Amino acid sequence: MSLDSRQAVATHDGRADASVAANGDSKGSWGDTEDSYGHSGPVNKPKSGAVRRARKVEGGIFFPKPENAVTIAVSSRVLFRTETEQKVFEERGVEEYLKYQVEHENEPFAPGPAFPFVKALETVNSQLRELYPDSEELFDIVLVTYNHAHVGVRLINTINYHNLFIERFCMTGGSSPIGYLKAYHTNLYLSADAEKVREALAEGIAAATMFTPEKLIEVSDTQLRVAFDGDAVLFSDESERIFKTHGLDKFFEHEKEHENKLLDHGPLKGFLEALGKLQKKFYEKGHRLDCPIRTYLVTARSAASSGIRALKTLRAWGLETDEALFLAGAPKGPMLEKIRPHIYFDDQMFHVEGAAEMGTIAAHVPYGIAQKHPHKKDSSKSK
Amino acid sequence: MNTDDDVKQKDPSRAVVIAISHDAVFDLKEEQEPKAPAAASGVLNPGPGFPFVKAVQRVNEKLVEKNPNETLLFDVILLSSKDRPKSQSEVANSIKHYGLEITRLCFCNNENFTSVLRSNKVKLFLSTNTDYITKAQDTGVPAALLYGQRGTATLDQLRVLFIGDSLGFSEDTTDRPKDEDTGEDQLQSVQLTQSSLEDLVALIGEMRRKFGRENSPLCACLMTVCSPRNVCVRALKRLRAWGLEVDEAFCLAGAPQSRLLAHIQPHILYDHGLQYTLDVPALS
Repeated sequence: MSLDSRQAVATHDGRADASVAANGDSKGSWGDTEDSYGHSGPVNKPKSGAVRRARKVEGGIFFPKPENAVTIAVSSRVLFRTETEQKVFEERGVEEYLKYQVEHENEPFAPGPAFPFVKALETVNSQLRELYPDSEELFDIVLVTYNHAHVGVRLINTINYHNLFIERFCMTGGSSPIGYLKAYHTNLYLSADAEKVREALAEGIAAATMFTPEKLIEVSDTQLRVAFDGDAVLFSDESERIFKTHGLDKFFEHEKEHENKLLDHGPLKGFLEALGKLQKKFYEKGHRLDCPIRTYLVTARSAASSGIRALKTLRAWGLETDEALFLAGAPKGPMLEKIRPHIYFDDQMFHVEGAAEMGTIAAHVPYGIAQKHPHKKDSSKSK
Repeated sequence: MNTDDDVKQKDPSRAVVIAISHDAVFDLKEEQEPKAPAAASGVLNPGPGFPFVKAVQRVNEKLVEKNPNETLLFDVILLSSKDRPKSQSEVANSIKHYGLEITRLCFCNNENFTSVLRSNKVKLFLSTNTDYITKAQDTGVPAALLYGQRGTATLDQLRVLFIGDSLGFSEDTTDRPKDEDTGEDQLQSVQLTQSSLEDLVALIGEMRRKFGRENSPLCACLMTVCSPRNVCVRALKRLRAWGLEVDEAFCLAGAPQSRLLAHIQPHILYDHGLQYTLDVPALS
């Protein structure tokens, strides 16, 4: 998905009539309506044009166009807890697994690791809709699973049970979901399957693997909090490479020398950017201090030295995070436990596991050099 | 009507007869420069329906592999126009050349083709021409659009896509979209085709059940285009009630169709009234 085409639309943000023109709909009066499914939203005007019959959107529910929205694709295994079913699949094969799912069709799944994140996205959406009723610049959550459609009924029953606002889904019946991610202009893909996540990253789609933690600490239900590691997540892994191959001193030297040279971008830069655009919409309506989206940089770099390059890069990109925590090599777990993000992205399993141990929802971005040289648990170097 | 003696005739009481226009199976363009040199002299190039015919053949092969006495098989017949005698022999040659399992060649014209469909007990009519599809549907014969991306459509697996937005509405017709042109006749034709659609779906479902979930030569997909998720689930359940468990399901809820279709690559697209497939390229 090319960010550039989306940027062209998003620069019109804040002005309702411009965003309507951008998606080609005729201008008209918008009004809120409650449809038979209990969802309220603006009534979408039918597309006019040289087609035989105008296509109406059923039920008056407002579905943003994928290219205008920030599309988050989640797999069923991270949105819900499906360990029992996974076990059936692994032990007894696909036919038994599907039979089991159909038999338990009316039993909703319990929430999974991505659930709080999705709920928080919906909270942001309802506030965005209040402030900008005509805009399609919202989060659009799509369920993308390589489950067979047999499981579909149980999944949708579960979505209904938990009152999630997910209207789009893709059950690929066993084939790779990657092509579908691109068709939906996906901005972020969350899955339990590291292979699929790697495939998505290779296609230029921000993606991360989520794991079901043993305990989950409570997170805010009024503010979406997203935390990012720096190297190999927001930035490329170039400095990480220096550190891994030549050691800490060389790393410091390199960073000092190249302080004014921008780091290259990493796989999640685009997602931070998308969050930033939505944040600006809140600022423009006077909600800077109580913005329902808050972002954090949590890096092992140190503020006085190697962190400078990171900050300069972000600034040059026109991006910012609300908070930047330079840990200088200290463990990330306690800091994350204070922040309580709905999701924390890191390229190193060591950090992901450390965070999860303390109950933080952490997602692994399998990108860069760290995948080949995993961090040894007993060493704790300052960066 | 010509029958091909080399191809074994199917049991008429059990065969799923599918009629397809000969100019969909082969490329008959005489008016313009041929796109590619002909495969051999007197033989036509494959058209958009060609991959479908090949994929159907594979399903039959696999069915017979499982049970040599299988009677529930696809039976593909070609509809041909009487007006072009030259093309008739080319069609016959081409069928032989490509080894297509086509049992009958039926001649008809634009006016009587629907009666030809009925007399041949056609369960499904396929075309790239939306007017013919609508005509067939109006007389109660299920008809679907051939979705063809020449060269990229798979020959290994027959992929059938049902557009489920109208399937997912409840029995109460007040649930249906209020449309200016939905008159009594429309509703009647919908009901008529609905029962033949039910039969077709049941047969496809029966065939599908003969294979496992993975590596099946037949794959059924469901897509809802502009309806919320519960409509899609109702459509899933309706197809299940009729005897077909679909493999893949997509709820677009207004997302653009064409990119997703290009990825799904169905051979045929069933959409009653063609209300939901306005942007679909039948040929590309």
